[in-house]
Amino acid sequence: MNVDISGAKVFFTIPIDFPVLGKIQISETIVVSWLVMLIITGLCIWLTHDLKVENISKRQAVAEMLVEMANKFVIGNMGEKFRYFIPFVAALFATSLVSNLISLVGLRSPTADLSTEAAWAVIVFILITREKIKAGGVGGYLKGFTQPIPLLTPFNILSELATPISMACRHFGNILSGIVINGLIYAALAVASSAILGLIPGLVGDVLAQIPILDVGIPAILSVYFDWFTGVMQAFIFCMLTTMYIANAAEG
Amino acid sequence: MDVQELVGIVPWTFIATICNLFIQIYLIKRFLFKPINAMLEKRKSLADAQIREAEQAKNEAQAMKSEYEQNMLEAKNKASEIVASAQKTAAVQSEQMLAEASAQAAAMKAKAESDIAQEKRKAVNEIKNEIGGMAVEIAGKVIEREISEEDHTKLIDEFISNVGEAS
Repeated sequence: MNVDISGAKVFFTIPIDFPVLGKIQISETIVVSWLVMLIITGLCIWLTHDLKVENISKRQAVAEMLVEMANKFVIGNMGEKFRYFIPFVAALFATSLVSNLISLVGLRSPTADLSTEAAWAVIVFILITREKIKAGGVGGYLKGFTQPIPLLTPFNILSELATPISMACRHFGNILSGIVINGLIYAALAVASSAILGLIPGLVGDVLAQIPILDVGIPAILSVYFDWFTGVMQAFIFCMLTTMYIANAAEG
Repeated sequence: MDVQELVGIVPWTFIATICNLFIQIYLIKRFLFKPINAMLEKRKSLADAQIREAEQAKNEAQAMKSEYEQNMLEAKNKASEIVASAQKTAAVQSEQMLAEASAQAAAMKAKAESDIAQEKRKAVNEIKNEIGGMAVEIAGKVIEREISEEDHTKLIDEFISNVGEAS
Protein backbone atom coordinates (compact mmCIF):
# COMPACT_ATOMS: atom_id res chain seq x y z
CA MET A 1 0.00 0.00 0.00
CA ASN A 2 1.43 3.25 -1.15
CA VAL A 3 -0.35 6.42 -0.12
CA ASP A 4 1.16 9.60 -1.42
CA ILE A 5 -0.27 12.82 -0.05
CA SER A 6 1.95 15.71 -0.93
CA GLY A 7 1.90 19.44 -1.43
CA ALA A 8 1.29 21.25 -4.68
CA LYS A 9 3.38 20.14 -7.64
CA VAL A 10 5.71 22.72 -9.15
CA PHE A 11 5.24 22.93 -12.90
CA PHE A 12 7.79 25.59 -13.68
CA THR A 13 10.45 27.50 -11.82
CA ILE A 14 11.72 30.88 -12.96
CA PRO A 15 15.42 30.68 -12.15
CA ILE A 16 15.80 34.13 -10.64
CA ASP A 17 16.52 34.05 -6.95
CA PHE A 18 14.84 36.93 -5.17
CA PRO A 19 16.06 37.73 -1.68
CA VAL A 20 13.78 36.35 1.04
CA LEU A 21 11.06 35.35 -1.45
CA GLY A 22 13.10 32.78 -3.32
CA LYS A 23 12.53 31.58 -6.87
CA ILE A 24 9.17 32.05 -8.54
CA GLN A 25 7.53 28.66 -8.69
CA ILE A 26 4.50 28.23 -10.90
CA SER A 27 2.81 25.56 -8.83
CA GLU A 28 -0.37 23.58 -9.23
CA THR A 29 -2.04 25.98 -6.80
CA ILE A 30 -1.34 29.01 -8.98
CA VAL A 31 -2.37 27.33 -12.23
CA VAL A 32 -5.62 25.98 -10.76
CA SER A 33 -6.40 29.34 -9.16
CA TRP A 34 -6.09 30.94 -12.59
CA LEU A 35 -8.51 28.32 -13.84
CA VAL A 36 -10.84 29.16 -10.94
CA MET A 37 -10.70 32.84 -11.86
CA LEU A 38 -11.45 32.00 -15.47
CA ILE A 39 -14.43 29.87 -14.43
CA ILE A 40 -15.87 32.58 -12.16
CA THR A 41 -15.35 35.38 -14.66
CA GLY A 42 -16.72 33.27 -17.51
CA LEU A 43 -19.73 32.41 -15.41
CA CYS A 44 -20.30 36.09 -14.62
CA ILE A 45 -20.05 37.05 -18.28
CA TRP A 46 -22.36 34.21 -19.31
CA LEU A 47 -24.89 35.10 -16.61
CA THR A 48 -25.00 38.79 -17.41
CA HIS A 49 -24.97 38.87 -21.21
CA ASP A 50 -28.16 39.99 -22.89
CA LEU A 51 -29.75 41.55 -19.81
CA LYS A 52 -33.33 42.72 -20.13
CA VAL A 53 -35.44 45.00 -17.99
CA GLU A 54 -38.64 43.06 -18.54
CA ASN A 55 -39.50 39.48 -19.33
CA ILE A 56 -36.21 38.13 -18.01
CA SER A 57 -34.67 34.74 -18.73
CA LYS A 58 -33.94 32.12 -16.08
CA ARG A 59 -30.24 32.88 -16.48
CA GLN A 60 -30.80 36.52 -15.65
CA ALA A 61 -33.04 35.59 -12.72
CA VAL A 62 -30.17 33.50 -11.30
CA ALA A 63 -27.72 36.38 -11.79
CA GLU A 64 -30.08 38.81 -10.07
CA MET A 65 -30.67 36.34 -7.25
CA LEU A 66 -26.91 35.98 -6.70
CA VAL A 67 -26.45 39.75 -6.59
CA GLU A 68 -29.40 40.14 -4.22
CA MET A 69 -28.03 37.38 -1.98
CA ALA A 70 -24.61 39.02 -1.84
CA ASN A 71 -26.22 42.39 -1.07
CA LYS A 72 -28.38 40.90 1.64
CA PHE A 73 -25.53 38.91 3.18
CA VAL A 74 -23.12 41.83 3.41
CA ILE A 75 -25.66 44.49 4.40
CA GLY A 76 -27.36 42.13 6.83
CA ASN A 77 -24.09 41.29 8.58
CA MET A 78 -22.28 44.59 8.31
CA GLY A 79 -24.83 47.33 7.74
CA GLU A 80 -25.54 49.75 4.93
CA LYS A 81 -22.28 51.72 5.25
CA PHE A 82 -20.23 48.68 4.21
CA ARG A 83 -21.94 48.46 0.84
CA TYR A 84 -18.56 48.80 -0.91
CA PHE A 85 -17.50 45.49 0.67
CA ILE A 86 -20.02 43.55 -1.41
CA PRO A 87 -17.70 42.78 -4.36
CA PHE A 88 -14.89 41.85 -1.95
CA VAL A 89 -17.00 39.37 0.00
CA ALA A 90 -18.60 38.04 -3.18
CA ALA A 91 -15.18 37.50 -4.79
CA LEU A 92 -13.87 35.83 -1.64
CA PHE A 93 -16.86 33.52 -1.43
CA ALA A 94 -16.89 32.65 -5.12
CA THR A 95 -13.15 31.98 -5.25
CA SER A 96 -13.24 29.89 -2.10
CA LEU A 97 -16.28 27.92 -3.22
CA VAL A 98 -15.05 27.17 -6.74
CA SER A 99 -11.56 26.37 -5.42
CA ASN A 100 -13.03 23.91 -2.93
CA LEU A 101 -15.33 22.26 -5.44
CA ILE A 102 -12.79 22.06 -8.26
CA SER A 103 -11.36 18.98 -6.52
CA LEU A 104 -14.49 17.18 -7.77
CA VAL A 105 -13.02 17.08 -11.26
CA GLY A 106 -9.73 15.68 -9.97
CA LEU A 107 -7.72 18.89 -9.84
CA ARG A 108 -5.93 19.93 -6.69
CA SER A 109 -7.85 22.64 -4.87
CA PRO A 110 -5.92 25.91 -4.50
CA THR A 111 -7.45 26.00 -1.01
CA ALA A 112 -5.53 22.83 -0.16
CA ASP A 113 -2.46 25.07 -0.03
CA LEU A 114 -2.00 27.10 3.15
CA SER A 115 -0.51 29.98 1.13
CA THR A 116 -3.91 30.72 -0.39
CA GLU A 117 -5.83 30.90 2.87
CA ALA A 118 -2.99 32.77 4.55
CA ALA A 119 -3.14 35.42 1.82
CA TRP A 120 -6.88 35.83 2.27
CA ALA A 121 -6.62 35.90 6.06
CA VAL A 122 -3.90 38.54 5.92
CA ILE A 123 -6.06 40.74 3.72
CA VAL A 124 -8.95 40.30 6.15
CA PHE A 125 -6.59 41.09 9.06
CA ILE A 126 -5.46 44.28 7.34
CA LEU A 127 -9.08 45.29 6.77
CA ILE A 128 -9.97 44.57 10.41
CA THR A 129 -7.03 46.66 11.61
CA ARG A 130 -7.92 49.46 9.22
CA GLU A 131 -11.49 49.56 10.54
CA LYS A 132 -10.25 49.54 14.14
CA ILE A 133 -7.89 52.44 13.48
CA LYS A 134 -10.64 54.28 11.60
CA ALA A 135 -13.00 53.82 14.54
CA GLY A 136 -10.63 54.76 17.41
CA GLY A 137 -7.58 56.37 15.82
CA VAL A 138 -4.07 54.93 16.08
CA GLY A 139 -3.89 55.79 19.78
CA GLY A 140 -7.22 54.17 20.50
CA TYR A 141 -6.20 51.10 18.56
CA LEU A 142 -2.95 50.71 20.49
CA LYS A 143 -4.63 51.52 23.78
CA GLY A 144 -7.16 48.79 23.09
CA PHE A 145 -4.38 46.22 23.64
CA THR A 146 -3.88 47.29 27.26
CA GLN A 147 -7.53 46.80 28.15
CA PRO A 148 -8.83 45.92 30.66
CA ILE A 149 -5.42 45.85 32.47
CA PRO A 150 -1.92 46.39 31.01
CA LEU A 151 -0.90 42.96 32.22
CA LEU A 152 -3.05 41.38 29.50
CA THR A 153 -1.24 43.14 26.64
CA PRO A 154 0.65 40.06 25.40
CA PHE A 155 -2.54 38.03 25.44
CA ASN A 156 -4.43 40.73 23.57
CA ILE A 157 -1.74 40.80 20.88
CA LEU A 158 -1.87 37.03 20.71
CA SER A 159 -5.63 37.00 20.36
CA GLU A 160 -5.41 39.67 17.67
CA LEU A 161 -2.95 37.54 15.70
CA ALA A 162 -4.97 34.41 16.37
CA THR A 163 -7.83 35.75 14.29
CA PRO A 164 -6.20 35.46 10.84
CA ILE A 165 -4.26 32.35 11.81
CA SER A 166 -7.35 30.54 12.99
CA MET A 167 -9.32 31.64 9.94
CA ALA A 168 -6.64 30.41 7.55
CA CYS A 169 -5.99 27.16 9.38
CA ARG A 170 -9.66 26.32 9.80
CA HIS A 171 -10.31 26.57 6.10
CA PHE A 172 -7.07 24.92 5.08
CA GLY A 173 -7.45 22.11 7.60
CA ASN A 174 -10.91 21.21 6.45
CA ILE A 175 -9.99 21.06 2.78
CA LEU A 176 -6.70 19.26 3.39
CA SER A 177 -8.38 16.73 5.64
CA GLY A 178 -10.82 16.01 2.83
CA ILE A 179 -7.93 15.37 0.48
CA VAL A 180 -6.09 13.20 3.00
CA ILE A 181 -9.14 11.14 3.81
CA ASN A 182 -10.04 10.77 0.16
CA GLY A 183 -6.50 9.57 -0.60
CA LEU A 184 -6.58 7.12 2.30
CA ILE A 185 -9.98 5.78 1.29
CA TYR A 186 -8.96 5.29 -2.32
CA ALA A 187 -5.81 3.44 -1.26
CA ALA A 188 -7.62 1.39 1.38
CA LEU A 189 -10.41 0.41 -0.96
CA ALA A 190 -7.89 -0.58 -3.62
CA VAL A 191 -6.16 -2.84 -1.10
CA ALA A 192 -9.48 -4.23 0.03
CA SER A 193 -10.69 -4.99 -3.47
CA SER A 194 -7.44 -6.67 -4.47
CA ALA A 195 -7.57 -8.74 -1.29
CA ILE A 196 -11.18 -9.80 -1.91
CA LEU A 197 -10.78 -10.47 -5.64
CA GLY A 198 -7.45 -12.20 -5.02
CA LEU A 199 -9.44 -14.97 -3.31
CA ILE A 200 -10.66 -16.06 -6.75
CA PRO A 201 -8.30 -18.84 -7.78
CA GLY A 202 -6.20 -18.91 -10.90
CA LEU A 203 -5.38 -16.29 -13.51
CA VAL A 204 -8.80 -14.62 -13.32
CA GLY A 205 -8.20 -13.73 -9.72
CA ASP A 206 -4.74 -12.37 -10.42
CA VAL A 207 -6.07 -10.08 -13.20
CA LEU A 208 -9.13 -8.92 -11.28
CA ALA A 209 -7.01 -8.19 -8.22
CA GLN A 210 -5.24 -5.47 -10.22
CA ILE A 211 -8.55 -3.59 -10.73
CA PRO A 212 -9.58 -1.53 -7.68
CA ILE A 213 -13.26 -2.29 -8.20
CA LEU A 214 -14.33 -0.92 -4.79
CA ASP A 215 -12.97 2.52 -5.74
CA VAL A 216 -16.03 3.01 -7.96
CA GLY A 217 -18.99 4.46 -6.09
CA ILE A 218 -18.04 4.45 -2.42
CA PRO A 219 -15.70 7.51 -2.54
CA ALA A 220 -18.42 9.41 -4.39
CA ILE A 221 -20.74 9.04 -1.40
CA LEU A 222 -18.02 10.26 0.95
CA SER A 223 -17.24 13.16 -1.34
CA VAL A 224 -20.77 14.46 -0.74
CA TYR A 225 -19.52 15.32 2.74
CA PHE A 226 -15.82 15.99 2.22
CA ASP A 227 -16.08 17.97 -1.00
CA TRP A 228 -19.59 19.36 -1.26
CA PHE A 229 -20.57 19.98 2.35
CA THR A 230 -17.15 21.00 3.63
CA GLY A 231 -16.42 23.06 0.56
CA VAL A 232 -19.63 25.07 0.78
CA MET A 233 -19.49 25.35 4.56
CA GLN A 234 -15.91 26.57 4.69
CA ALA A 235 -16.46 29.18 1.99
CA PHE A 236 -19.54 30.39 3.87
CA ILE A 237 -17.81 30.36 7.28
CA PHE A 238 -14.81 32.25 5.96
CA CYS A 239 -16.99 35.00 4.49
CA MET A 240 -19.23 35.07 7.55
CA LEU A 241 -16.21 35.56 9.85
CA THR A 242 -14.77 38.19 7.52
CA THR A 243 -17.94 40.28 7.61
CA MET A 244 -18.41 39.78 11.34
CA TYR A 245 -14.86 40.72 12.30
CA ILE A 246 -14.81 43.80 10.08
CA ALA A 247 -18.23 44.97 11.30
CA ASN A 248 -17.20 44.43 14.94
CA ALA A 249 -13.95 46.29 14.36
CA ALA A 250 -15.84 49.27 12.99
CA GLU A 251 -18.00 49.37 16.08
CA GLY A 252 -14.81 49.87 18.10
CA MET B 1 8.74 17.14 -10.69
CA ASP B 2 9.29 19.18 -7.56
CA VAL B 3 6.67 19.14 -4.87
CA GLN B 4 6.06 21.91 -2.37
CA GLU B 5 5.56 21.29 1.31
CA LEU B 6 2.16 19.97 2.29
CA VAL B 7 1.72 22.52 5.06
CA GLY B 8 3.63 25.69 4.52
CA ILE B 9 3.52 29.13 3.07
CA VAL B 10 5.20 29.69 -0.27
CA PRO B 11 5.90 33.42 -0.61
CA TRP B 12 5.20 33.70 -4.32
CA THR B 13 1.99 31.71 -4.09
CA PHE B 14 0.99 33.97 -1.22
CA ILE B 15 1.63 37.12 -3.26
CA ALA B 16 -0.02 35.66 -6.34
CA THR B 17 -3.12 34.80 -4.32
CA ILE B 18 -3.41 38.35 -2.99
CA CYS B 19 -3.09 39.72 -6.52
CA ASN B 20 -5.53 37.14 -7.81
CA LEU B 21 -8.08 38.08 -5.16
CA PHE B 22 -7.93 41.75 -6.10
CA ILE B 23 -8.15 40.93 -9.80
CA GLN B 24 -11.11 38.69 -9.00
CA ILE B 25 -12.78 41.49 -7.06
CA TYR B 26 -12.41 43.77 -10.08
CA LEU B 27 -13.65 41.13 -12.50
CA ILE B 28 -16.66 40.18 -10.41
CA LYS B 29 -17.50 43.86 -9.97
CA ARG B 30 -17.11 44.58 -13.66
CA PHE B 31 -18.89 41.54 -15.04
CA LEU B 32 -21.54 40.71 -12.43
CA PHE B 33 -22.37 43.62 -10.13
CA LYS B 34 -22.07 46.50 -12.58
CA PRO B 35 -24.38 45.15 -15.29
CA ILE B 36 -26.89 43.68 -12.84
CA ASN B 37 -27.02 46.79 -10.67
CA ALA B 38 -27.36 49.00 -13.73
CA MET B 39 -30.19 46.80 -14.95
CA LEU B 40 -31.91 46.81 -11.55
CA GLU B 41 -31.55 50.60 -11.41
CA LYS B 42 -33.07 50.88 -14.87
CA ARG B 43 -35.96 48.65 -13.88
CA LYS B 44 -36.54 50.67 -10.72
CA SER B 45 -36.55 53.96 -12.61
CA LEU B 46 -38.91 52.46 -15.16
CA ALA B 47 -41.29 51.35 -12.43
CA ASP B 48 -41.05 54.75 -10.78
CA ALA B 49 -41.82 56.46 -14.07
CA GLN B 50 -44.81 54.23 -14.59
CA ILE B 51 -46.12 54.95 -11.12
CA ARG B 52 -45.65 58.66 -11.69
CA GLU B 53 -47.47 58.45 -15.00
CA ALA B 54 -50.33 56.56 -13.43
CA GLU B 55 -50.59 59.15 -10.67
CA GLN B 56 -50.61 61.95 -13.20
CA ALA B 57 -53.31 60.23 -15.23
CA LYS B 58 -55.33 59.76 -12.08
CA ASN B 59 -55.00 63.43 -11.17
CA GLU B 60 -56.02 64.45 -14.65
CA ALA B 61 -59.02 62.16 -14.53
CA GLN B 62 -60.00 63.61 -11.16
CA ALA B 63 -59.70 67.14 -12.49
CA MET B 64 -61.79 66.24 -15.49
CA LYS B 65 -64.38 64.63 -13.29
CA SER B 66 -64.68 67.66 -11.02
CA GLU B 67 -64.87 69.93 -14.05
CA TYR B 68 -67.57 67.79 -15.54
CA GLU B 69 -69.46 67.77 -12.29
CA GLN B 70 -69.24 71.55 -12.07
CA ASN B 71 -70.45 71.87 -15.64
CA MET B 72 -73.32 69.56 -14.90
CA LEU B 73 -74.23 71.57 -11.84
CA GLU B 74 -74.11 74.82 -13.81
CA ALA B 75 -76.23 73.37 -16.56
CA LYS B 76 -78.74 72.15 -14.04
CA ASN B 77 -78.90 75.57 -12.38
CA LYS B 78 -79.28 77.26 -15.71
CA ALA B 79 -82.03 74.91 -16.74
CA SER B 80 -83.96 75.47 -13.55
CA GLU B 81 -83.44 79.22 -13.93
CA ILE B 82 -84.78 79.12 -17.44
CA VAL B 83 -87.77 77.10 -16.34
CA ALA B 84 -88.44 79.48 -13.45
CA SER B 85 -88.20 82.58 -15.62
CA ALA B 86 -90.43 80.97 -18.24
CA GLN B 87 -92.96 80.18 -15.58
CA LYS B 88 -92.81 83.73 -14.28
CA THR B 89 -93.18 85.21 -17.75
CA ALA B 90 -96.10 82.94 -18.47
CA ALA B 91 -97.82 83.92 -15.24
CA VAL B 92 -97.29 87.61 -15.87
CA GLN B 93 -98.51 87.29 -19.40
CA SER B 94 -101.61 85.37 -18.45
CA GLU B 95 -102.39 87.86 -15.72
CA GLN B 96 -101.95 90.71 -18.15
CA MET B 97 -104.16 89.00 -20.66
CA LEU B 98 -106.80 88.40 -18.05
CA ALA B 99 -106.64 92.01 -16.92
CA GLU B 100 -106.89 93.24 -20.48
CA ALA B 101 -109.81 90.95 -21.16
CA SER B 102 -111.64 92.01 -18.08
CA ALA B 103 -110.98 95.68 -18.85
CA GLN B 104 -112.26 95.20 -22.35
CA ALA B 105 -115.33 93.45 -21.06
CA ALA B 106 -115.91 96.20 -18.53
CA ALA B 107 -115.55 98.87 -21.23
CA MET B 108 -117.95 97.01 -23.48
CA LYS B 109 -120.41 96.65 -20.69
CA ALA B 110 -120.14 100.34 -19.78
CA LYS B 111 -120.65 101.36 -23.38
CA ALA B 112 -123.62 99.10 -23.75
CA GLU B 113 -125.14 100.47 -20.58
CA SER B 114 -124.63 104.03 -21.69
CA ASP B 115 -126.11 103.20 -25.09
CA ILE B 116 -129.07 101.63 -23.44
CA ALA B 117 -129.55 104.61 -21.16
CA GLN B 118 -129.33 107.00 -24.05
CA GLU B 119 -131.78 105.01 -26.11
CA LYS B 120 -134.07 104.84 -23.16
CA ARG B 121 -133.86 108.56 -22.61
CA LYS B 122 -134.45 109.17 -26.28
CA ALA B 123 -137.44 106.88 -26.31
CA VAL B 124 -138.83 108.41 -23.16
CA ASN B 125 -138.43 111.94 -24.55
CA GLU B 126 -140.13 110.97 -27.77
CA ILE B 127 -142.95 109.33 -25.95
CA LYS B 128 -143.13 112.25 -23.59
CA ASN B 129 -143.37 114.71 -26.42
CA GLU B 130 -145.92 112.60 -28.24
CA ILE B 131 -148.01 111.99 -25.20
CA GLY B 132 -147.67 115.64 -24.26
CA GLY B 133 -148.89 116.69 -27.66
CA MET B 134 -151.65 114.15 -27.60
CA ALA B 135 -152.73 115.13 -24.12
CA VAL B 136 -152.70 118.81 -24.98
CA GLU B 137 -154.76 118.07 -28.00
CA ILE B 138 -157.14 115.87 -26.07
CA ALA B 139 -157.39 118.25 -23.17
CA GLY B 140 -157.87 121.21 -25.51
CA LYS B 141 -160.67 119.40 -27.12
CA VAL B 142 -162.23 118.47 -23.75
CA ILE B 143 -162.07 121.71 -21.86
CA GLU B 144 -161.33 124.26 -24.53
CA ARG B 145 -159.97 127.47 -22.97
CA GLU B 146 -160.35 126.88 -19.29
CA ILE B 147 -156.70 126.17 -18.91
CA SER B 148 -154.04 128.08 -20.71
CA GLU B 149 -151.66 126.16 -22.90
CA GLU B 150 -148.80 127.00 -20.58
CA ASP B 151 -150.45 125.46 -17.49
CA HIS B 152 -151.36 122.46 -19.51
CA THR B 153 -147.90 121.71 -20.62
CA LYS B 154 -146.62 122.04 -17.11
CA LEU B 155 -149.26 119.68 -15.79
CA ILE B 156 -148.57 117.10 -18.47
CA ASP B 157 -144.84 117.29 -17.92
CA GLU B 158 -145.33 116.64 -14.29
CA PHE B 159 -147.53 113.70 -15.03
CA ILE B 160 -145.12 112.22 -17.56
CA SER B 161 -142.12 112.57 -15.31
CA ASN B 162 -144.11 110.69 -12.73
CA VAL B 163 -144.84 108.03 -15.33
CA GLY B 164 -141.15 108.00 -16.36
CA GLU B 165 -140.06 107.51 -12.82
CA ALA B 166 -142.60 104.77 -12.25
CA SER B 167 -141.71 102.97 -15.47
